[in-house]
Amino acid sequence: MPKITIDSTEIEVEKGTTVIQAAEQIGIDIPRYCYHPGLSIVGVCRICLVEIERMPKLQVACYTPVADGMVVHTNNEKVQQARRAVLEFLLINHPLDCPVCDQAGECWLQNFYMQHGLYDSKMVEDKVKKQKALPIGPNVMLDSERCILCTRCVRFCDEITETHELGIFNRGDHTELLPYPGQELDNKYSGNTIDICPVGALTDKDFRFRTRVWYLTETPSVCPGCSTGCNINVHHNDHRPYKAGGIRVSRLKPRYNPDVNQWWMCDEGRYGFTQVDADSRIVAPQKKTRGDWQLLSWQDAIDEIATKIKGILKKHGADAFGVILSPQMTNEGLFAAKRFFQETLEVENIDFEVVAREKGYADDFLMKADKNPNSEGAKKIGLSAVDNSGLEVAQMLADAKDNRLKALYICHHNLEKGFKKEEVKEALSKVDLVIFQGTNQNSTSNLANYCLPSASFVEKDGTFTNFAGRVQEIHKAVEPLGESKPDWTIFRNLSKRLGKSMPYFEAGDVFNALAEEVDAFKGLSYEKIGEHGVLLNGHRASTEKEMGALVA
Amino acid sequence: MSEKIISKFFDIEDSHTIEIYEKHGGYETIRKVLKQWTPEQIIEEVSNANLRGLGGAGFPAGRKWSFIPKDSPKPKYLVINADESEPGTFKDRYVIDHYTHGLFEGIMIASYAIGAHKAFIYIRGEYIRQTERLVEQIEAAYEKGYLGKGIFGSKFDLDLIVHRGAGAYICGEETALLESLEGKKGWPRMKPPFPAIEGAFHSPTIVNNVETLAYVPTIIKNGADSFANLGSERNGGLRLYSISGHVKNPGVYELPMGIPLREIIYEHAGGLENGNGIKAVIPGGSSSPILTPNEIDVNMDFDSLAAIGSMLGSAGIIVMDDSTCMVRALYVVTRFYHHESCGQCTPCREGTGWAEKVLKRILDGAGRPEDVDNLVEIADNIIGNTICPLGDAAALPIQSYVKKFREEFEYHVREGKCDVKGQ
Amino acid sequence: MEFCKAAKTECDKIIAKYPEKRAAMLPVLYLAEKEFGHISPEVEKYVGKLLDVPPVKVHEVMTFYTLIAAKPRGKYHFQICRGLSCDLKGCVKIIDYLSEKLGLSSDETSDDLMYTFTPVECLAACETAPMMQLNEDYYGNLTKEKIDDILKENS
Repeated sequence: MPKITIDSTEIEVEKGTTVIQAAEQIGIDIPRYCYHPGLSIVGVCRICLVEIERMPKLQVACYTPVADGMVVHTNNEKVQQARRAVLEFLLINHPLDCPVCDQAGECWLQNFYMQHGLYDSKMVEDKVKKQKALPIGPNVMLDSERCILCTRCVRFCDEITETHELGIFNRGDHTELLPYPGQELDNKYSGNTIDICPVGALTDKDFRFRTRVWYLTETPSVCPGCSTGCNINVHHNDHRPYKAGGIRVSRLKPRYNPDVNQWWMCDEGRYGFTQVDADSRIVAPQKKTRGDWQLLSWQDAIDEIATKIKGILKKHGADAFGVILSPQMTNEGLFAAKRFFQETLEVENIDFEVVAREKGYADDFLMKADKNPNSEGAKKIGLSAVDNSGLEVAQMLADAKDNRLKALYICHHNLEKGFKKEEVKEALSKVDLVIFQGTNQNSTSNLANYCLPSASFVEKDGTFTNFAGRVQEIHKAVEPLGESKPDWTIFRNLSKRLGKSMPYFEAGDVFNALAEEVDAFKGLSYEKIGEHGVLLNGHRASTEKEMGALVA
Repeated sequence: MSEKIISKFFDIEDSHTIEIYEKHGGYETIRKVLKQWTPEQIIEEVSNANLRGLGGAGFPAGRKWSFIPKDSPKPKYLVINADESEPGTFKDRYVIDHYTHGLFEGIMIASYAIGAHKAFIYIRGEYIRQTERLVEQIEAAYEKGYLGKGIFGSKFDLDLIVHRGAGAYICGEETALLESLEGKKGWPRMKPPFPAIEGAFHSPTIVNNVETLAYVPTIIKNGADSFANLGSERNGGLRLYSISGHVKNPGVYELPMGIPLREIIYEHAGGLENGNGIKAVIPGGSSSPILTPNEIDVNMDFDSLAAIGSMLGSAGIIVMDDSTCMVRALYVVTRFYHHESCGQCTPCREGTGWAEKVLKRILDGAGRPEDVDNLVEIADNIIGNTICPLGDAAALPIQSYVKKFREEFEYHVREGKCDVKGQ
Repeated sequence: MEFCKAAKTECDKIIAKYPEKRAAMLPVLYLAEKEFGHISPEVEKYVGKLLDVPPVKVHEVMTFYTLIAAKPRGKYHFQICRGLSCDLKGCVKIIDYLSEKLGLSSDETSDDLMYTFTPVECLAACETAPMMQLNEDYYGNLTKEKIDDILKENS
């Protein structure tokens, strides 16, 4: 392995490592615009120039592989001068519109100018004019004047999505990034171009002018949009939600996970968080009285529901009780439900799977047809009908229609996605007690007798198990809306009211209990999951499998 | 009368045809080579001849060929750079027009030496008549069995393809040329890999200038020493000097490497028009640092010009008489590099346009005192920091014009006009 | 939008010369320019299809190089050199004169599609400065009188 010296620190690195990567390993952050570890290396921006002893010219750190004995200076006078020069060149035709630019605060031109620039501009000429505020796709706005032509977005569309919407046209200082005339930047992953744009050239239609980035807080999480489980950061506006009309979650950004999504996420997941702050949120327990919803306190809700459940079980037995859990729930919610329904109530009719009538979009990259984040977890915890020799969802609805089912506890599902509207309506109308537990109202919740408010994925801690058996953590970014609570808390409280308490105080307690009881989770602990997740027993770390075509 | 190799064909009627070329001993060398020479021997001979890359970089040709990996299973390509675009340079056009088959014979020998069975002539798009000539003469060569399968009855196959560029100076840079040949815009590549390892179509490729290859048959025919001895130390042979500007007889002159610049100007190009004095001379295409009258005794070879801080480059000499406004001259040169900057990397893309704007403003009488230093700073900040040499090509003139004619720039800024007579 | 049979044969012949289809980009664009007059967006897409290249990459090429016409050009295309050697030899006056005679400014084409006027960078014929290219041919040592003669011959 070659040994090299970077700013007087000696380091041994793998052969083939580039100078910029080697420097990263010892915590030296060489500025970069065009370099992105997920894309081909082009060396065009020139901001990463470093001095390498015995080489006459400065070299770009992104492209230069280490060689044994190499001595690199990343911050001497010569390098600083070159950086200042590159910054000055990048800025001569860059508009000074930071006050109205959404990138302000996370702009690498601003940041590097403060770190490496700080010169007095000598540019007094007219700047080159290019196109501004150009909508180039459903999600992306382009300001061509702000573009520094790093070509990251072009390479993303050429190399990752292979959709080739963007090009670099003309030449010299009239070179311009634009979509192919007549074509939109409308691929399933277009939002990533905004993430990797180091400046304000590509901005997010969904985020523009909503909030300044310095008011945002980041919380690591996992996208609940499908079974891939892309790692994300939730950007939430804790400081000035009143400026955003009460919208607490401003945006989702992909978070690097080498084994799952690398640097990317799909647009469906990225923009799929709006239900979190939607008007349809269920914010308090409620019951339907003569067709009208009436709010209840948690205590009253739990009391009434417990009493009714007890009555039905006593009168009709456990076979008259159906439970439809959801792969939208965390492992913790599912496990607490399992304990509550199986152990406390001794109910066997438990299922979670409602096969969508409309097949979800899937590709060989990140998007899976299963639009639930925890189907694998639900299976492994043993919540399929077959595991409990109980009824499947379809059978439950059929039984309900035939008056054989007296109580139905439905979590999160909109049953109309799997069954015909009239079928669901008819079946549920014949059940004495329908309890809906979920985050948002839907056509199923409207048919229930009781609605219990669940905390959404940004309002709780917990874990999802992705399609490949990787257990990954979500974290509470914002407080549960209204009276909503994590699913596992609701089941714990119900269970206690019905005579069996569960000693869980936080999500980790539930997970650790789950790890003790369920084979696939044996040996795992909440503390050990870490930022990139861990694999269930029997699941091999198989990047190829998890990454699909990305690796190719 | 000094010896001529290529230019003696300039005045022969129909010298571009196979018949006339063969009448003057053409294609004898390649026949011999195919029978008697090994590729290694050719490379050695060309190395010993001190033949340098005459496109402008001056890299020793034989050494370049030796970089082709012998054990590579990939095809090898020879690419002939006929994208003659450096302002002040026009010699390759003469070679193509008059020494067409001499060029082909050089291509054949070089292809044999590096094991290439396919060669591409990349010619600048404006050379339409030259493209026609190449295509027509290549067809003639195919008909005679000089190209194609088993050339000259040997076992060596060679296809030669003319590829016409489409108007981009940058495509004279060898990696941009390869990108262009592959059907892309001419954005230079990062090196390494060098083309000899991975060039056209991911395969080992040698890119040689037209003139360089045109000298190869003579080197093999007469021997390395006889060629080397025509030139100066480490700068073998003759070369074709293009001379233009304010001289009486502009044109292409084939003269020894290392000949004094003064001799080219006064003895061969007839001195200056109207008996004017020299103000400045560009020795090797418009990118080379400019020379003042007291520097024109320099010997015209790569090393001597480098020693005085300029370069031989493409040997495109532009002579400016004392009626020339240096601010305007630099403006025209800078406008060219701005127009031709490919836009890929930051310093050249942004710096060339900026410098042009500053120069235009000075010319228009709106210069500021700080402009002169700022021009130099822009140039300093481009130099050495770009992917390809176009950045340097744009910056070197700025540095040298301002350094050597600073007072003229300052006068322009101060007075808002030119103090040169006749302007 | 398709090549006629002869042009398609020519196109296939061009493609066959290269180890990769895409390499035929410039020659096929030249062929298309000859066939269709200029490279319209439809032609761009067609060429992309012929070469298995996304149209955006054809467009990059079209906007990078200067010679292949993206818009209709005149029957007579005057490309007049403004390089350094020509500038030293007074090309500015010649350029202005030609511009005035044609009644066209830079990069303009006459409404009757007879003339296109384009001042260009160095055409590599500095020994004949000031010079220009009219369609395929170079014309050197230009004077106003010579411009008059050339215009008379080409109208």
